[in-house]
Amino acid sequence: MMSDVRTVYSDALIDLLAAAEDAIRQIPPAFPLSATVAVNPFLGQIGEDRATAAARLARVAGINPLRPRAEIAELIEDGRITDADLAAAAAKDDLDVVTLRVAARTPAASPTPHPTVAALAGAATGNNWEAFVEERFGQWAAAAFDEGQALWPAPKGGLFSDWHAFAAHDLSSEIAGLRGFCAQVATLPDCPREAIGRAAAVLGLNEGDGLAAAPIYFHRLLMTMGGWSQVARARGWLAERDGGREDSALALLAIALSWEAALYTLFADKIDAAWAAVREQMAAPVEPTVVHRVEAALQDAADRSAERRLAARLAETAEDGRAPGDGPGDGRADGPGDGDDKARPVIQAAFCIDVRSEVFRRALETTDEGIETIGFAGFFGIASAHRDTASDIVEARAPVLLNPGVESTSATPAEEDIAIRLRHRAVRAWGRFRQAAVSAFAFVEAAGPSYAIKLAKDALGGAPEAAKPAAPVLDLPRETRAEMAAAILGAMSLTRGFAKIVLIAGHGSTVRNAPHASALQCGACGGHAGDVSARLLAGLLNDTAVREDLVAKGIEIPADTVFLAGLHDTVSDRVTLYEDAPTAPSGAAMTRLRDALAAAGRLARAERARLLPRADNPESLPRRGGDWSEVRAEWGLAGCAAFIAAPRRRTAGRDLGGRSFLHSYDWRADDGFGVLELIITAPVVVASWIALQYHGSTVAPEAFGAGNKLLHNVTGGIGVVEGNGGNLRAGLPWQSVHDGEAARHEPVRLAVVIEAPTVEISRILDKYDSVRNLFDNGWLSLHAMDDSGRMAHRYDRGRWIEVDPAALGAAIAA
Amino acid sequence: MTGLPLLVPVALIAIAFNLMLSPVARDDMRLRLPEIAALAALGLAVLAGVDLVEHGPGHGTLPFLGALGFAVMMDVVSVSLMMTVSFVGWVVLRFSRVALDGETRHAGFMAFMSLVLAGVILLVTAGTLTQLVIGWIGIGVALRPLLLFYHDRPRAQRAAKKKAFFSMISVAALTAACLWMASAFGTTEIAAIRAAIEIGDVPDHLWGIALLLAVAAIVKSALIPTHGWLTEVMEAPTPVSALLHAGVVASGGFLLIRFADLMIAVPGVMAVLALVGGFSALIGAAVALTQPSVKTALAWSTCAQMGFMILQCGLALFPLALLHIIAHALYKAHAFLGSGSAVEAVNAIRRPGPVAVPDVRAVGRAFGLSLAIFVAVGLVFGIASKAPQAVALGAILVFGVAYLMAQALADAAPRPLTRRTGAMAGAATLAYFAFHAGADWLTAGTLPPPPAPDGLAWAVMALTVPSFALAAFAQATFPLWADHPAARGMRVHLMNGLYLNALADRFAGRWSSKEI
Repeated sequence: MMSDVRTVYSDALIDLLAAAEDAIRQIPPAFPLSATVAVNPFLGQIGEDRATAAARLARVAGINPLRPRAEIAELIEDGRITDADLAAAAAKDDLDVVTLRVAARTPAASPTPHPTVAALAGAATGNNWEAFVEERFGQWAAAAFDEGQALWPAPKGGLFSDWHAFAAHDLSSEIAGLRGFCAQVATLPDCPREAIGRAAAVLGLNEGDGLAAAPIYFHRLLMTMGGWSQVARARGWLAERDGGREDSALALLAIALSWEAALYTLFADKIDAAWAAVREQMAAPVEPTVVHRVEAALQDAADRSAERRLAARLAETAEDGRAPGDGPGDGRADGPGDGDDKARPVIQAAFCIDVRSEVFRRALETTDEGIETIGFAGFFGIASAHRDTASDIVEARAPVLLNPGVESTSATPAEEDIAIRLRHRAVRAWGRFRQAAVSAFAFVEAAGPSYAIKLAKDALGGAPEAAKPAAPVLDLPRETRAEMAAAILGAMSLTRGFAKIVLIAGHGSTVRNAPHASALQCGACGGHAGDVSARLLAGLLNDTAVREDLVAKGIEIPADTVFLAGLHDTVSDRVTLYEDAPTAPSGAAMTRLRDALAAAGRLARAERARLLPRADNPESLPRRGGDWSEVRAEWGLAGCAAFIAAPRRRTAGRDLGGRSFLHSYDWRADDGFGVLELIITAPVVVASWIALQYHGSTVAPEAFGAGNKLLHNVTGGIGVVEGNGGNLRAGLPWQSVHDGEAARHEPVRLAVVIEAPTVEISRILDKYDSVRNLFDNGWLSLHAMDDSGRMAHRYDRGRWIEVDPAALGAAIAA
Repeated sequence: MTGLPLLVPVALIAIAFNLMLSPVARDDMRLRLPEIAALAALGLAVLAGVDLVEHGPGHGTLPFLGALGFAVMMDVVSVSLMMTVSFVGWVVLRFSRVALDGETRHAGFMAFMSLVLAGVILLVTAGTLTQLVIGWIGIGVALRPLLLFYHDRPRAQRAAKKKAFFSMISVAALTAACLWMASAFGTTEIAAIRAAIEIGDVPDHLWGIALLLAVAAIVKSALIPTHGWLTEVMEAPTPVSALLHAGVVASGGFLLIRFADLMIAVPGVMAVLALVGGFSALIGAAVALTQPSVKTALAWSTCAQMGFMILQCGLALFPLALLHIIAHALYKAHAFLGSGSAVEAVNAIRRPGPVAVPDVRAVGRAFGLSLAIFVAVGLVFGIASKAPQAVALGAILVFGVAYLMAQALADAAPRPLTRRTGAMAGAATLAYFAFHAGADWLTAGTLPPPPAPDGLAWAVMALTVPSFALAAFAQATFPLWADHPAARGMRVHLMNGLYLNALADRFAGRWSSKEI
């Protein structure tokens, strides 16, 4: 027996492990809910086009990543998708409009994935072994990934050896009828790689067809674990980001294979023929059929229809009569890059590029003509490892793509920090008293009655008060500070013409009793609110030493300019201001800012209330954040469809409906196009992750959505399962993308619009394959904006196609 | 006046039918009717409380309903439970109105929640056996569509199937007990039955009635081994769990309290209740410790708490059982409705750094200190004159407080934390005694005091007190032995609830595909 295993190890294990690696890379990471950020669920498939990805995901998970045909048929019916859209989509794939029209009206069969051994055994024995394995595996995994829910935690060694010990003790399998399962598991090696080899030998994967089937089969197995394989993948993904390696996902694969091998051993006599056939099917290469190509083309037509509407909106004359291309001086300034001739603005306000900022910026500009707004990623260029008051936990206040480069802490005085810590530890001790055996009974009789007050308070709710924690401080030497400040101001296109008050507004969402609260926070701040980042930048730029050093770098900040940090609450549209600056801004300017923010908040609430259920009174929105029963406190980034990097004057005055990421960018001020490169490789990628997460959670909620909030059972403090247990559910809850009657997120691809010379954009794409893939394979579309603010060029797999202005004119007329 | 509480179930049933039979728009004001009715019920309960204080316990009915066998009995038990249930009902219905917005069958959900509430109020205010049985059955019937609200979920179907099986047993046991009582006592009026028992006019085979009531209570309160469905009904929306754990499972305990005089007369059945309850309390609590999912842990904790409450009944400490039902209902409703905060809560646990682990010496001192506090506070509240059962139960609770104290006394804990935690332990003890004294005082005259323990009762106490002491000691010293291989193995078995449910599943053919 031993020698057999060794043979497998030497001969085929390397190929098998390569196949495992391949399969693991197909799995998107999912980050713990304590600080979750959006992830593109198709991250593993961006190297192939959407039709191929559809073919692959159908086989490994039985899901369709494309928009359902029936929805497309409706869009064709009501004229939102035109023949021109269909023709353009069809032309890409040698199809024709009639085929697409007919296909849209033909109901599609839902895809069936390859059966696993558990499925075959189930079919042969009449017992649902797939559900059984999911439940058993989920039971173990919940404890193994637990971050502190259970007072008696599971022992934590290696994932695989932990499971090995668990499964060898767990009598459930024997009771359910899997005779000899525990004994079989007990003989497994403790090393996941060897276990993969052992299982592969049992399952006939170590040669020929079997080996060829391995990549798809392994991907299939990882998909049967739902969110568990995704949280495991996140550990590996983060390790790889930082140049390391982590094998949690491999351990889960070894576990899944061990289950399969055990079931195969028990039922081989009934299923060996069927299994051989399945193996053969799985060995077939992934190729899109005509069905997948047609569905991808239909999705493409829907995407084009949305892109056309965006183009029309941008080409439209602004509501106040200004055309987008009108020169500087006669329209809303974009910011300081525009020249020195115009009057110095009273207030500048920088917001996160988040689509929710668009509504608020527009409202703020409408309220007060003297306010300029700027869009920039909400961590404001400071990727910080932050330690909060009375906390040992280091939070990455940065986009997950970046490893935080600087450290910051909350400036709470030491005694106060200790006092808060003690209070929290006492609360924790009380919590353990509540949870522990025996003491739980004493707890109920001593403290139970006091819950009447808590129940009444929570039932009545009320708008939450904004907290004002102590200001954070950055741990950096003087030279680095100025360098950092210069780089950030450059990237913001904000190096001249500073106003008296420059508001740096991060954003956050105050919600209660919501496991997915962090999904509503600032993605650029790692799933935290943006207050720390905004305050760090304001602090940096108010530092007189930094300002002195900046002069040498050609950036002169007037002495009377004050940077003011703020936090835009996306539930209430209220902005909290942090007056940390050593010198207070002038009283008149502050009053003007406060008035404008208050008025803008009312406008923004009125606009958002139209889309939220039960929000007839817009002024009731702040209360939703304090309501523990509210499942739709706000819509988050649902509906996001465009990313626009251009001067604000191209978009100002146009209602973009809270669906656009707006990044301020002036290519004329970008020497060497370093900022453009940064935008294309960072904010664009982050925006694509967000847009595709909403897409995945909308079209394939069973695999890439977190399910029904009403059934959420928070597990391990890191995620949710639906109901009793089973698979962890990654992605967004159904209520976050659907309003009960219709999907709130329209599943179309993100249109990236950049005002910059096409050659420069192409040059950057050529440098970064992973970004280029997103466009070449149709996951995103790319458009170049011209001097008149129109989407004049469309990127098509390496080429730029000029958009016919007449077609655009027709679109506007329609 | 005394019959007025009957208006509540009538109103709730009328609202339920209105919501079910006519289309309800998404923002329809009628969705608020159930919570308004619950609030009105709370108001009526408070009025009944005032009436109770002024005129003592009462009995009454309403025209027409009286002829059908409905009548309410308003004493401290029914008034306090009606207050609790209508208050929790108000919170849960209000929560449901918002949380289920956008669900296609939102109105139906509100309707069945209202019916469950109507059933519970009928039950707790029942003055007749007829009303008692109808309330009992009504709860189960109304609950079923709620458990199957997502009826295409196989796991929901399995849980509902299991629940239906146990419901049937509890209904059968209760109906049999009530029929037996009606024929043996010649009346369906609960007050009359109690009066007969008080003057010693008891039928033969009273133990049979007591045993049937005990079976109904054990099954209804989901004590081990009939707990399987309770730990699986997270397949229904959160508010259902809240109402179920706060208002429904305690019906078993209510039944025993309602027939306290009868139960006390049969010490053998009382001993069985104490043992079954104590077993559930200990096992349920241990299993709850190992659960990494918040709602699952809460469900096991309910199983344990109900066990503890039945143990209190078994020790004839009915006022304390009543207190436990009320306190648990308030706590557990809040815990379920607020279970979405678990991500934040788990994160908060990790923020202030590692937990100070007490060593055996610290645990020993904690037990000694807690005992001292217990005796000191107890003397103030007159522990010397208390029944041995009450002292035994007090001892069990001291073990719990000792756990809090042990954390305070851990060497690694800074002084101010020790002081703070110690103060919390003192406050908990004080609150505990105050509530007990309050419960005893309020129910004096309504609920019987524990009789002098016989040999059986002493044996039960001799078994339970050391078991709880051992469990508490094990809990407090937990980090010192958790890594032992035997403990690791035991953890696997506990996490699986000792396979009682797995065996039930096998027996019920749970994994058979046909069922799904």
